[in-house]
Amino acid sequence: MIAMAHAVISCLHANFAALEAVLADIDQQGIATITCLGDLVGYGPQPNEVVDLVRQRSIPTCQGCWDEDIIEGLNACECSYPSQLAERRGHLAHQWTAEQLGEENKAFLASLPMTLRRDRLLFVHGSPNSQHEYLLPDMDAFAALERVETAGAETLFCGHTHRPYVRELRDGSIRARVQDGAASGAPSVERQINLPMRRIINAGSVGEPRHGNTNATYVIHHEDTDAVEIREVPYDVERTCRAIVESGLPPIFAWRLRHGFEYAERADDASHVCER
Amino acid sequence: MARWALISGLRGDLEAYEAIQEDLRQTRRVDTLFVLGDVIGPERECNALLERLQQPRRGEMEPQCLYGWWEDQLLAERGYRGQRRADALRLSQGETAIDALLQAVDPAYMDWLAGLQLGFVELGCALLHGSSVAVDDSLGPNSSPLFLLDRLTRMDVNRLFTARSGRQFRLELSGGGIESQVRDLEGQRHHQQSVPPRQVIGIGAGIHYTLYDPGSDRLDFLIAGSKPQQRARGFA
Amino acid sequence: MSQTLLISGPPGCGKTSWILNRLQNHRGPCGYLRLAGYPDEGLVQAPDGGIDLAYLQDQCPRLLDLADPDQALASRPANLLALIELPQFQPPADSGLAGVDRRVIPQLEAMHLSPDEHLHFGRDDLLPRQDTLDFNSLQALERNLAGSVWDPASLSSFWFELVNGAYGDVYRAKALMNLPDGQAFFCNWMVSQEGSQFLPLQSIAPPDCRPERLSRLVVQGKDLDPTALEHTLADCLLSDAVLELQQAPLRQRQAPSHPSPAK
Repeated sequence: MIAMAHAVISCLHANFAALEAVLADIDQQGIATITCLGDLVGYGPQPNEVVDLVRQRSIPTCQGCWDEDIIEGLNACECSYPSQLAERRGHLAHQWTAEQLGEENKAFLASLPMTLRRDRLLFVHGSPNSQHEYLLPDMDAFAALERVETAGAETLFCGHTHRPYVRELRDGSIRARVQDGAASGAPSVERQINLPMRRIINAGSVGEPRHGNTNATYVIHHEDTDAVEIREVPYDVERTCRAIVESGLPPIFAWRLRHGFEYAERADDASHVCER
Repeated sequence: MARWALISGLRGDLEAYEAIQEDLRQTRRVDTLFVLGDVIGPERECNALLERLQQPRRGEMEPQCLYGWWEDQLLAERGYRGQRRADALRLSQGETAIDALLQAVDPAYMDWLAGLQLGFVELGCALLHGSSVAVDDSLGPNSSPLFLLDRLTRMDVNRLFTARSGRQFRLELSGGGIESQVRDLEGQRHHQQSVPPRQVIGIGAGIHYTLYDPGSDRLDFLIAGSKPQQRARGFA
Repeated sequence: MSQTLLISGPPGCGKTSWILNRLQNHRGPCGYLRLAGYPDEGLVQAPDGGIDLAYLQDQCPRLLDLADPDQALASRPANLLALIELPQFQPPADSGLAGVDRRVIPQLEAMHLSPDEHLHFGRDDLLPRQDTLDFNSLQALERNLAGSVWDPASLSSFWFELVNGAYGDVYRAKALMNLPDGQAFFCNWMVSQEGSQFLPLQSIAPPDCRPERLSRLVVQGKDLDPTALEHTLADCLLSDAVLELQQAPLRQRQAPSHPSPAK
């Protein structure tokens, strides 16, 4: 058993074979604590099976953007589809999933919190502000730090982008000169704040990878050493592809998954925060 | 280049507005008047001011108006914000304030208020009541510089003019940096980022207003009807 | 002096590109004729549907269409360069004019065309060397897209899927596609080549209706999936309402400005 280690998984997207493989990988390492960052459903062919397994294993889970959309009856933020083709495929997947998902599983998704917290660790789907905000690895470093700091965390675990990374923000400082208009004639006051070291850890995606191959990804955080491991787990992709075709979802979804592509392109705009 | 006048927080006070307009009549090189919201409030009847904003008198500068926190509360209560109502106002000041606000503004002005924008972006400057995150985002001289920098970065502007705090201040980011290290499936990369030389400016409220010269970056914090209180020099 | 060249070769070897280059370098009058070719042993010649002629005419506006019956009867101008394109899978048994497929001769005679020279891709050194491909049991799929307009980002996704095998094992894909800003693109891909060609046409359609010019998709390959392809096409093409949303601002930008009334 790995002492003081926990696993974080995200973006399962109704891919049962991938989830089984990832959980087997985690179990085989003796890791008992798992947190899930949402998007249990969406595009994939086995929404009920995946939700059932997460519930059965009692994995603490926060609500993803797809989970929210299925419950609210909305379609995912339309500004995140860069093409009409992607939007149509997203809408079809949304409708299919909503029709397939059982009422108990819908109630489970509705019950999920926006964020989970454990000590100074915060777990979110997109960002502390929104399930729809992408925290990309190369977004403005100060903005990234602000997300963690404003949420009162030291380490922020997120998903949503489907590409795992570990980002450390250190040795930060900001100097400012302030002139207070109310105090007439007063000189400006110089201030400096030293920023604490903070980390953002993206768990990638179990069910719909976007990192260039078909392997599922997740992360392990070793709390004793504070080291973070990005794990890649191969699984029987063809099993999921067969399930896609048998379920009546568009065969193109199987082709895209088989080739390591996302089901429908998403626009990656770090500065965009969904108005919704 | 001509200067901007920035005002906010009139809360129905037509006298204050007229005092500012009188000041501007006597001030050279001001060609644009921005009104950063809160033209209404529950304290007094607002219709006369609303009428004047839409129909300026001869010799008055035509105002460019945005909506502020009070406009947002009234629009919500009147059903212009979907299901949302004036919950923030109800929570902070109770039903009496809601009633007073509804009484203060004739429904005939609701469409005009509903047409107001959240903000303007001009010449690398953002002008909003609060920030792009929320109309009630209160940015002040004691706000965390990290927080203020984030608000500037979201809009990718060099100057952010805000009114929510009601304060007149200028906070200039003058230095600093941060190290970022990213590790992913492709490897590691390291990046050093500097703090950009950007500013957040609180423009004041009521008769406290601000003149800004986008050409020279010079700022003047003023009180209508008085001599200039202070000249906050711009940094070239 | 006039010259008539017959250029033959398998699909996607570069006949049209070579022909365009010759046309653009010729100072005098030019003419073009594309023959249909013959289905040899299960290899279906995909009907071109006029894509090559439309593209060449766009790039060379004075190009004469030698298939036009009027052209057959009219006296040919002096110094005419006439280029005849013949899709042909198998290399000719003999070189030069002796190797011209006997079946095309009556067709050419009816059009008063008599080749001075015959060049075959993959055999004659005057033509660029291309990879030779082993064609067996080739299928063809064609879609008339006249009046259709693509969402540009969707076109990129669809084309990527198409040439990477999402709709079957595609050897060759060729198309003329319309975009909402009035542009059209000649899209061209061959399995032996790296990357697709996306070449803009010179002519721009007005932003007030669906374009009337030729628009078509032609695909050759194996195990093609027309149903899945149709499904994707339907998701990529713009409806009237969406097209109007995109064209209205373009019309406004193009409208002549009127002087403002005196105050």
